[in-house]
Amino acid sequence: MEKEGRMKLSRRDFLRLAGVSAAGAATATVVRPTLAASKFHGGEFTDAAGRPNRPWWVRVVDEPTTEIDWDRMVRYDERNGTVRGPGITKYAGEEAVARMGELNKKNELERILANVDGYTLKDYALQSAHAGHARSYLGPQEAKTPEDRGVPKWSGSPEEAARIIRAAMRHFGAATVGFIELDERTRKLIYDVDPDGKKLIFTDEKEAYETEDARYIPNDCKYVIAYTVQMSQETMRRCPTVTGSQTTSLAYSRGEIIQASTQEFLRGLGYQCLGESSTNALGIAPAFGVMAGLGELSRLNRVITPEFGPMVRVFKLLTDLPVATDKPIDAGIMEFCKRCKKCAEACPSESLSFEDEPTWETRGGWNNPGHKAYFEDAVSCYTYWREQAGTNCGICFAVCTFSKKDKAWIHEWVKAGASTAPALDGFFRTMDDAFGYGTQATSESWWSLDLPEYGIDSCQPVEEA
Amino acid sequence: MSDNYTVKLKRRPWYAWLLWAVWLFLLIFIAQNAITSGQELEGRAAMIFWISFAVLFIAGLVVAIVRRNE
Repeated sequence: MEKEGRMKLSRRDFLRLAGVSAAGAATATVVRPTLAASKFHGGEFTDAAGRPNRPWWVRVVDEPTTEIDWDRMVRYDERNGTVRGPGITKYAGEEAVARMGELNKKNELERILANVDGYTLKDYALQSAHAGHARSYLGPQEAKTPEDRGVPKWSGSPEEAARIIRAAMRHFGAATVGFIELDERTRKLIYDVDPDGKKLIFTDEKEAYETEDARYIPNDCKYVIAYTVQMSQETMRRCPTVTGSQTTSLAYSRGEIIQASTQEFLRGLGYQCLGESSTNALGIAPAFGVMAGLGELSRLNRVITPEFGPMVRVFKLLTDLPVATDKPIDAGIMEFCKRCKKCAEACPSESLSFEDEPTWETRGGWNNPGHKAYFEDAVSCYTYWREQAGTNCGICFAVCTFSKKDKAWIHEWVKAGASTAPALDGFFRTMDDAFGYGTQATSESWWSLDLPEYGIDSCQPVEEA
Repeated sequence: MSDNYTVKLKRRPWYAWLLWAVWLFLLIFIAQNAITSGQELEGRAAMIFWISFAVLFIAGLVVAIVRRNE
């Protein structure tokens, strides 16, 4: 006799249960990474060096997805690279630069008076609010050193050092942090000459210093700290206007604060930290970002990260504190760029490459040869800034298929798909257009938005817990 | 008149349940994207997702009603 109360499971019920379980499992598969990606860190680093626990579709690789010919590469004179600044004279000529300046001034006045969207007085007031902070090669040098405190300098394993630097820099405002050790090859990514004309010279001396003509880098300062600072996608989609450009300016300002704070933090531990003496000084930021695994080089000829797309600025520092280093990544970004071309199509000055494959051939002296990339025409880009936009542009960043916030699950799926199934890249690009992603918004509407701090999506960190 | 009558019980095959599970999963997925696209200020994406949600929901409802009446 059957025991009373014992539940009998019919085949039908079993199948129902199996169906519900399958649905639950499928939902959990989707929900889990999405929830994990959107939660802010509540736990501890799972990796000893504090490396981010990235999604499964971000592969750590030995060589970057950008092909590099290290023999062909030489240390770069960054005076040639300031094409979107004083270096433009070298390429466009004094007459053209003067014309651009006059036109820019005239446009500014006319636009303010005509109340043109994105160029109103309040937009220019926002622009002039970025007073900037002092960057310096050696840092503020004000923090107490262990010597000042009468204690030995900090010591720990390279993993521990990487972890505490990551924790400190995240606290200062960095989005992601990566490390590499300079060797004979990657030393070529440090400029030969800084934008201000000072030579960067490696030396066997122990202390870094600076003279009127040069900055000396001790050979012991061979650890590069590369870090990103998030920009606001919502602000960037107002590009090219004065309003839209402010997220770039703000990211640079924040980068400066993070640099000075990190320099002082490492000084407090008893180590040296050498920074950018001016904007984009010291070394090739995208190259260090790529080598440290922060992202991949793209059709923009800038870094695109798996987490924030191109909505970041990349900075670098040098230290003599030994740290656990990182490797490049492959998240299918460079492969996707080969088929997408959305940024090139949107570029108003047609400065971005339409080629199917990256090339070794540079477009001008502002590019450093030795790597296979989509080189841009920086002169036409900057001319557009000065003669028409009246400010820096950024449309290529705004329209990029990887410029997404992280709330909708679909983005994670598309990024995973792009990384693992390149055959779908064309479809993803078409859908990106169809869904209206990357469309510009009016600057006037920006002033009504209730955005989080810095306009960034602060709930969009890399999962580390 | 016969005293006997037949009751026909139609059992749904296993894959029917699986299809309903997929339908439910898609509804959840699309609804999530519709809600969060609005939060992301992506109006057109939100609209497309909401329309997709409505179409899928109604399609499921119609199939359920038709099959019940068969």
